[in-house]
Amino acid sequence: MPNYVLNIRRFSPESGEPAHWEKFEVEMEGHRPVLDAILHARNTEDGSIGIRCSCQAAICGSCGVRINGNPALACNTLLRDAVATAKDGATIDIEPMGNMPVIKDLIVDMDAVHWKKVQRVVPWLIPAGEPPEREYVVPHEAMVDVTQTMACIHCGVCVSDCLSMEVDPEFVGPAAHAKAYRFVGDPRDAATETRLRDLAEDPHGLYDCTHCFKCVEVCPKGVSPMNQIMRLRRRATGDFKIKDANNGYRHEKAFVSIIEKWGTLHEAKLLPDSYGEGIFGKLNPEAQKQLIASAPTAVRGVLSGKVPPLKVIHHHKLPDQKKIKDIYKKIHGRDDRIELNLYIVGEDADALAAESAPAEAAATAADGGES
Amino acid sequence: MTVGIISKIHPVRSHSNAAQGGINAALNPDDSWESHAYDTVKGSDYLGDQDAIAVMCSEAPEEILHLEHLGVTFHRNEEGLLGTRAFGGASAARTYYVADITGQAILHVLYEQMLKYDDKIDRYEEWFTVALAIDENGRCNGAVMRNIRDGVIELFRAKTVILATGGSGQIYKPTTNALVCTADGQAMAYRAGAALMDMEMIQYHPTTLLGNGLLITEGARGEGAHLYNAAGERFMEKYAPNKLELASRDVVSRAEQTEINEGRGFPDGSVHLDVTVVPKKRIHEALREIVMVGRDFAGIDITKDPIPIRPGQHYIMGGIKTDVDGLTDIPGLYAAGEVACVSVHGGNRLGANSLLDTLIFGKRSGHHAAGVAKSMNMPKISAKQVDDVRDEINAIMARSASDGRRVSEIKAELGETMNDKVAVYRDEEGLNSALEVVKRLQEEAKTAYIDDRGTIFNQDVLGAIELGYMLDIAETIVMGAIERKESRGAQFRTDYPERNDEEWLKHIDIKLKDGTPTIEYSPVTITQWQPQERTY
Amino acid sequence: MKVAYWPGCVSRGFTPELHGSMEKIAPKVGIELLELDRANCCGAGVIAEHNQELADTLNARTFALAQQSGGAMMMNICSTCQGAQSECQERLDASTEYRDLINENLAPEKLSYEKGITNKNFLWLLVEDIGLEKLASLVKRPLDGLRIAPFYGCYIIRPTERLAYREHPERDQYLEQVIDVIGAESVAYTGSHKCCGFPVITMNKETSLTQAGRHLGDAIDAGADALVTPCPLCHLNLDLQQPEAKKFVNRELGIPVLHFPQLIGLALGLEPKELGMGKHVVSTKAVAAKVAAMAVAA
Repeated sequence: MPNYVLNIRRFSPESGEPAHWEKFEVEMEGHRPVLDAILHARNTEDGSIGIRCSCQAAICGSCGVRINGNPALACNTLLRDAVATAKDGATIDIEPMGNMPVIKDLIVDMDAVHWKKVQRVVPWLIPAGEPPEREYVVPHEAMVDVTQTMACIHCGVCVSDCLSMEVDPEFVGPAAHAKAYRFVGDPRDAATETRLRDLAEDPHGLYDCTHCFKCVEVCPKGVSPMNQIMRLRRRATGDFKIKDANNGYRHEKAFVSIIEKWGTLHEAKLLPDSYGEGIFGKLNPEAQKQLIASAPTAVRGVLSGKVPPLKVIHHHKLPDQKKIKDIYKKIHGRDDRIELNLYIVGEDADALAAESAPAEAAATAADGGES
Repeated sequence: MTVGIISKIHPVRSHSNAAQGGINAALNPDDSWESHAYDTVKGSDYLGDQDAIAVMCSEAPEEILHLEHLGVTFHRNEEGLLGTRAFGGASAARTYYVADITGQAILHVLYEQMLKYDDKIDRYEEWFTVALAIDENGRCNGAVMRNIRDGVIELFRAKTVILATGGSGQIYKPTTNALVCTADGQAMAYRAGAALMDMEMIQYHPTTLLGNGLLITEGARGEGAHLYNAAGERFMEKYAPNKLELASRDVVSRAEQTEINEGRGFPDGSVHLDVTVVPKKRIHEALREIVMVGRDFAGIDITKDPIPIRPGQHYIMGGIKTDVDGLTDIPGLYAAGEVACVSVHGGNRLGANSLLDTLIFGKRSGHHAAGVAKSMNMPKISAKQVDDVRDEINAIMARSASDGRRVSEIKAELGETMNDKVAVYRDEEGLNSALEVVKRLQEEAKTAYIDDRGTIFNQDVLGAIELGYMLDIAETIVMGAIERKESRGAQFRTDYPERNDEEWLKHIDIKLKDGTPTIEYSPVTITQWQPQERTY
Repeated sequence: MKVAYWPGCVSRGFTPELHGSMEKIAPKVGIELLELDRANCCGAGVIAEHNQELADTLNARTFALAQQSGGAMMMNICSTCQGAQSECQERLDASTEYRDLINENLAPEKLSYEKGITNKNFLWLLVEDIGLEKLASLVKRPLDGLRIAPFYGCYIIRPTERLAYREHPERDQYLEQVIDVIGAESVAYTGSHKCCGFPVITMNKETSLTQAGRHLGDAIDAGADALVTPCPLCHLNLDLQQPEAKKFVNRELGIPVLHFPQLIGLALGLEPKELGMGKHVVSTKAVAAKVAAMAVAA
C-alpha cells in the first residue's frame, strides 16, 4: 500500500507557540480521501489534530481546508489526486482555509466571517402576504435553478480564497451572494428589488466582485457563486434599472452602448461614461470627483505614447457596424431575456435532449401513478 | 419564554443533510393518509404503533405545505405544482423531494428560519452536552454542557428539554452515518433512567457504496434503477416479484446479502445498482448528488457504469421511548427524530419516513414542551453536576498511554464487531459473542487514553465521552437482538427464521435499573390493521 | 500556420504595443495572421452580465468570421477575450437548439457558427502547437539573467473545466515554461495566478488597485526585473495604473510589465523599441538595458 506524507499546519493558541508544520506518514490506498488520512493520523499518532468533519460524503460542509494551497473539502479530495498537486510531488500540504481567523490547527472561525456575511443578505424567504392554501405555483425550471444555490453546503471553500475578500475583508463574498440569489431567483420571494438594491448600493456588495472565477473553480458542489453574482447584477440593472452609487449600472450601460455604437471598445469613453452618464451626469459632483481622480492616469497614458491624443476623441467604427446595431435591436426588442442555463439543461444538453421524450414519460409516471 | 438550541456542531452540519431521497406525505388528492399509514405499518412488520403512525401520516400533508411555504425548494412538475417520486414499500408515489438533497434543503431552510427569529432563539453552536440535569424527584431541569470553543463547562437550566440528537450509526463500521452520530441523546436519557425501545431494530440500507459505505439514495431505485447480481440477473424478481427493487429496505437488503452469501455477488463482495436505465436528463435533474458521489468517491460515471453496492448500516428504528408528544419516561424530557422511538417505524422504517418522523414529532414535542414551560417557574437546580462533569473530563485527560488502549482502537473494534455479528443476519452464538466484546470494551473504555489535554477545541476528549455513549447503547442493541427470538423487520435470526406474532408482537424496552440494563416488554398498539403475512 | 487572428480591442486601443509586437513576432514563429478586422468586442464578461444572448451572438459572430477565414484555428492575444469567448462557446456548443437560435440572429449577415471552433490564446498556441522545442530553436537572444514574474490573468486559468485543462493540464504553468525556455528565469511569487483587479476599477478602485499593488509589490520583493502577462487588461491595471496602485498599498512600486509577445520578441532578437517597449507607463529602460547587454546570435 502506498505511503503518503501529510504536512499539516498546526496551531494551538494555548501552547504559546507559533503555527508550524508537522509531518505525518500514513499508509493508505490512493483512492481514499485526504480526510481519512488525517483521521488515521489523529487516531493512531496524535489525537490533538484539530479538524471539523462529520459526514465524510461532501454534504455537511465541515472539512474545508487548503490542500497544497488550494481550498477544498478534505473528504472528497482523494489522496492520489492530492499527491499529484503536491509542490514537491510527494508531500501533501494541509492547512486551514484563508480569509478567516484560525481557531486551532485546521479549524477556522466561520462565524466571524462566513456566517456574518450570510446573515448580511437577509437569508430567509420573504413572501408577499399570507401563504396560499396549497403550495405556491412555481415554474419547474425556477425550482431547479434555485436548487443550484440551495445546494451550497456553506463549507467556506469559496470564501477561503476569494480574491476580492483578500483585499477587502468587508466584501459580502461569493457564498453569501449565492445565498442572496437563492431568494432573488425564487419566484416565491417578494423582496427581490429590495434585496438587489441593498447589494448593488453596498460598496462591498455586487460590484466588489472582480470576476476572477476562483469561487467557480473551487466550489465542491457546483454552486458557481460568481455566476450567481453576475445574474444578480443582470437582474439589478436589466430588470430594475438600479442606478447604484458604485457605477455598476453606468459601467455596464456605458460598455454595452459603446459596443453598440462602435463595435469595439472605445476605452477613452468607457471611464468617463462609467462615472457619469452624458454631459449632465459628468457634471454631477461625485462623477467630477472620480473623473478628476482618474485624470492623472489618463495624462500618463497620453504621455507614455500608448494613447495618442487623437484616439481619445476618435474611435474607429467597424465596417459592418449597422449589422451589430441590428443584432442589438433584435435582442433588446425581445419581451424577455433569453438565457441558456447549463445547470438546468446540462453541459451536454444535446445528449440529454436526445433522450428527453422517455425522461418526461418517466417523470409523469412518478408524479401520478402507482409505482 | 426563551428557546435555546444547543448543538455540538454548527446546525447546518447535522446529519439530516444526508437524507437524500425525500419525505413522504399523502398530499395528492387521489392518495390518502390511511394508505400511507398502512404502508408504514406493513413496512414496520407490524411492530409500529398504529396510533402514532396515524398521527404522523395524517399530519404529513400539512407539514409538507408548511415547509414549502417556509421556502423549501421542492421539485415542481410541469404545471408548477409539487411533484413526487416513487419510493420503497409505498403503494403510491408520495415522496416529495429536492433533487437528491431533500434533507439538506429542509435543514438549511429551517436554519434560515432560525436566523430570521434570531431575537427569539438563542443559538449555542459547538456546545457539547455531557449529561442531563436531573433533580431529586427525577425531573429533567436542564443539561450540563462544555463549550467546545473554550472548554468552559456550564449548567443550562431549562423548564423542558428536547433531545433531537439523531442516531447512533457510529456504533457500526462501516455506516452511512456521520461521525457525529454517536448515540449521545439515547445514552444520556438511558443513563438518566429513560426506557429505550426497539433497540434491536437496526436498518441496513440496500444501496451503500462498496468500500466506504457512502449512501446511494433509494431515490435512484425510485427513478427506476435496477439491481443485478454477477450473473446479470435482476434478482429482486425472486424476492419481491411485485415491488422488485422498491420492496421495503429490510427485504431488499436481505436479498442482496443472500445473493452475496450464496456466491452470486461480484468477486469484490458487491451487487450492482444500475442507474444507466434511467434517462440521462432525469439523472441530471434528480440525482445530481449521486452523480457527484460516483465521480468523487468511486471514480465512476453513474450514467454509464453500474455502481458496486452492498447493504450498510443506516438507521436505528429504536430509541428513547416517547409518546406522540415526544414525552419520555422522565418528566421534563422530550425526544424527537432518530434519537426517539414513538414507535412509528417498528421493525423497519420506510424510505422517506425519517424526515417526516423528525419533523412531525419535533413539532409536537416543541408545542407540548412550550405549553408545559409556560405554566411553570424556572426550576432550581444544584450545580453539583457541573463539578461531576468537570471531574469526569479531568479524569479522562489524566489517563496515560500505559493505562490502556486508544479511544479510536476501541471504537473501531466495536464497529467491526457490531457489523459482523449484529447485522442483516443474526444468530444467538454471534450475538452472545458480540455482547461479550461490548462488555469487555466497556471495561477497557474506563482506562482508554487520549492525547489532547487542551481546552480549545479538544475533540479528543469529546471522542472519549462519545465512546462511552456508544458502548452503552451498543449493549442495549445486542441485548434486544438476543432477547427477540424471532425474525421481524430488520431483525433476522437465522436460528428463529419466522415471525412469531404469538410471542413477539411486542416491544422490548430496556431500562437502566440500579446500574443494570433490564428488559421489559410493552404492547404494540394495533388499531385498524391486523398483522398479515408480509410480501412485496 | 495560418490562424484567424482576433487581437481584441485593447491591444489596438490603450495597449497598441501589444498588437504591434504580435505582428512583429508572428512571422518569426511561423504564424500567418489572418486578422479579423470586421469582428467585434468579446464583451469582456460585461455584455454577458447584461444580456447573455447578446454576448453569445456577438461572439458567435466572431467565431463565424473566423471559420470563414481559412485559418487552422482562431487565436487571441488577450486572456479576457479567451475567457469571455470560451464562456459563450460553452453555451453555444452545448445545445443545438440554442445555437440555431443564435445563428438566426446572425442570418442577416449570412454568418453561421458551427459547433467546435478551436480558439486559443497565443500562449497556448505557442506551447501546444508550435512547441517549446521549436521555440528554443528560434531563440536568438537567450535572456540569461533576466528575472521575470509571470502574471496569467484569471480568464485563462479559471474555470479549468471550461478552459480544457483536462486535455491540457499544464496550461497554468506555460508562462514559467516559456520563460525558462527563452533563457530567462521565472520568479515565483504569490500573485502570479491571482486577479489584477481590473474588472472593478470603475466600481471599487480600492479593491481593484490594492490587488494590483500587492501583486506588483510581491513580484518586486521576489526580485523580479519585470512582470509578463498575456492579458492587456491586466496590463492596464498593472502598468497604466501602477502609479495609482502604490497609493493603495503604501509602498513604492516601479516594476515594468511586459506583454507576452514583447518578451518572446526580445528572445527572438527584436529590439525593445521595435516591440513598443517605449510606450509603457512604467519605464522599461532597465530591462531594455539588461537586454541590450546580451548577445544576439546571427
